[in-house]
Amino acid sequence: MSTEVESYKIQKMVELLAPKLTRQVVGSLVGCVHCGMCHETCHYVMTHPDDPKMTPSYKADQLRKLFKRHYDWTGRVFPGWVGAKPPTRDVDLDELKDIAFGTCTNCRRCTFNCPMGVDTATLNRIMRGLLTQVGVMPEGVRVVSKDTWELGNQMGVLKEDYVETLEWLSEELVMELDDERATIPIDKVGANIVYTINPREVKYDPRTISEAALIFYAAAEDWTMPSWGWDQTNFGLFSGDDAMGAASYRHLQEKNAELGSQRLVISECGHGYRSTRCEGPNWSKTDQDFVMESSVMTMLRYIKEGRIVVDKTKNSDPVTFHDSCNNARSCGFYEEPRELLKLVCTDFQEMYPNRTENYCCTGGGGAMSMSEYTPRRLVSAKVKADQIAETGAKVVVTSCHNCVDGLGDLIRHYKLDCQVKQLVHLVANALVLEECAISKIPKEKPVPEPVPEPVQEPVVIPVEIPADRVKIADALSGRRILIVEDEEDTRIFLATLLQDAGAVTLEAVDGDEAIATARAEKPDLITLDLSMPGKDGVEAFIEIRNDPDIRDIPVCIVTGHPEFRKVIYDRPVRPPEGYMDKPVIEEDLVANLRRILETSRAEGS
Amino acid sequence: MAIFEYGDVSIEVDEDGFMLEPDQWNEEVAAALATTEAVEELTEEHWKVMNYLRDYYLEFGVAPMIRKLCKETGFPLKKIYELFPSGPAKGACKLAGLAKPTGCV
Repeated sequence: MSTEVESYKIQKMVELLAPKLTRQVVGSLVGCVHCGMCHETCHYVMTHPDDPKMTPSYKADQLRKLFKRHYDWTGRVFPGWVGAKPPTRDVDLDELKDIAFGTCTNCRRCTFNCPMGVDTATLNRIMRGLLTQVGVMPEGVRVVSKDTWELGNQMGVLKEDYVETLEWLSEELVMELDDERATIPIDKVGANIVYTINPREVKYDPRTISEAALIFYAAAEDWTMPSWGWDQTNFGLFSGDDAMGAASYRHLQEKNAELGSQRLVISECGHGYRSTRCEGPNWSKTDQDFVMESSVMTMLRYIKEGRIVVDKTKNSDPVTFHDSCNNARSCGFYEEPRELLKLVCTDFQEMYPNRTENYCCTGGGGAMSMSEYTPRRLVSAKVKADQIAETGAKVVVTSCHNCVDGLGDLIRHYKLDCQVKQLVHLVANALVLEECAISKIPKEKPVPEPVPEPVQEPVVIPVEIPADRVKIADALSGRRILIVEDEEDTRIFLATLLQDAGAVTLEAVDGDEAIATARAEKPDLITLDLSMPGKDGVEAFIEIRNDPDIRDIPVCIVTGHPEFRKVIYDRPVRPPEGYMDKPVIEEDLVANLRRILETSRAEGS
Repeated sequence: MAIFEYGDVSIEVDEDGFMLEPDQWNEEVAAALATTEAVEELTEEHWKVMNYLRDYYLEFGVAPMIRKLCKETGFPLKKIYELFPSGPAKGACKLAGLAKPTGCV
């Protein structure tokens, strides 16, 4: 590697790029001839015609510069000739962040229109991933990543809140239909279908869950919702963090296996569909031994098989369809939603362009979570607003939750006279329940509930627990963590934080004690201070890595000396799994350790 | 960061129009913010929702689940959407002076 780079973070990015340089990626990096075709395809360019920095090839050039300078022979020999001038200082990273996160929704429209087959959106995603891995990302992405690592879903929904919400929806539906069979089953082992959702459904707008439950009921389906591993969305797709992508997918896969289901149904969510069905198995490098399908396919099948009957005249407003980028361009999934839509509404008209040529909702790629770029996003949304207005439709239907919010924003901003709906809503609204499968199954006479054994009610003493404690309570549940730290105050502080997050802690005050304890106890993870009396952290780290008994235990350096980074990473041993500067921020510590534990578990398995 | 101004009200908001300093919230601010969310008049029912959201947020630092909001106010979900057409996350939370909900919303 070149020694001209001043920034440790950029050096690290160069290293992290190496394993991503597959033949396809290199093809995209070297294939661009800067012909300008992509220029005309991008909604950012169309709405910022005088800003050359909006051109897709310019955005991809940021990664290209890094690649050419450090990996391609032309850039190593003639850097000036081939534009191999990557940034070298930390201060340059903010600009890279703004380009990668703030001027592209990774919608891949440019990719589809490149005569050279350059996948610009993938290059942009790689740039996001490199930045995220050295800690440079928008605040919104940081928060969502933290919640994903700690609680297994991107909106920080606690398990008990999730289950309680489903129970509430279930009761309402049973009451509305006056039929016990309309219950939403949770964790039912052996069900035909496991149904997963986007957290915004359970946190803010559960109408789609009730509608889906109604359709499953009408089709007399044997289905269930999992109590864990239910978040099909995957911020790894947006942040470029493949490790998170793998961990999020594995939650679904493992829960599905535990429930013994053969079919995972993904609610209408573009990035959920893409990251679960198309990317997840690759990120997690696991085999996939069950069917994954969009709920659109499920609903369509029910109609074709006659399990549900619909009356399209119940949806008579003029309707148009918006293709989600992830569904249409990345998964080739665009005819089935149309087929279904035409079965459940009377007045359907296409918007133009459509299918793989459709314009982004402008809220894709995680844009809805990054407020700092909202003004630019709304300007770029003019393209979409005009496209919708031209159809004259009163309802824009889409099969993506992200598009629902993106389109909702631009409809308000540009004061369009229409609303956004999903197919599940139209199907539920068009149901003719008395002709559906459920009506052909006689209601069982209510079996009197067996009188339950009188149970001694446990005495519950209400304890006021601050919210932040509740939130991270289970993040490290049952994990055994060795804290190596010479200062007593810090040691107690770290131990308390980790115990609050559910961990079992062990402690050591210097390098020798750390190694002895690690050998004797084989903890799941070690946090290691660097400057300690006696055998210091650097020596201890090398010794741990060279000891076959304990070399696989993940290590997170926690130090007041960020400048030691280089000393540690330059050693001829496997680098530490994490490196955190003091003072330690509670939330970052727990999220980081959780990430390390998840990632190393995946690699070890 | 941006400044939102309406009448005598002048507050710092993020680029999505959510308050940055929730302490500056008061009824006048809520009424001003309501003009951005197609809420024409703030009724007692609006205040009931906003007050609950606010109390919860000040205590726990996050917006409550929709389940809790419906349970505590006694309003069905449909009613919440009637009161705040943009929905609980983008409508009600914004008027109640909460920070923008995290994630893809």
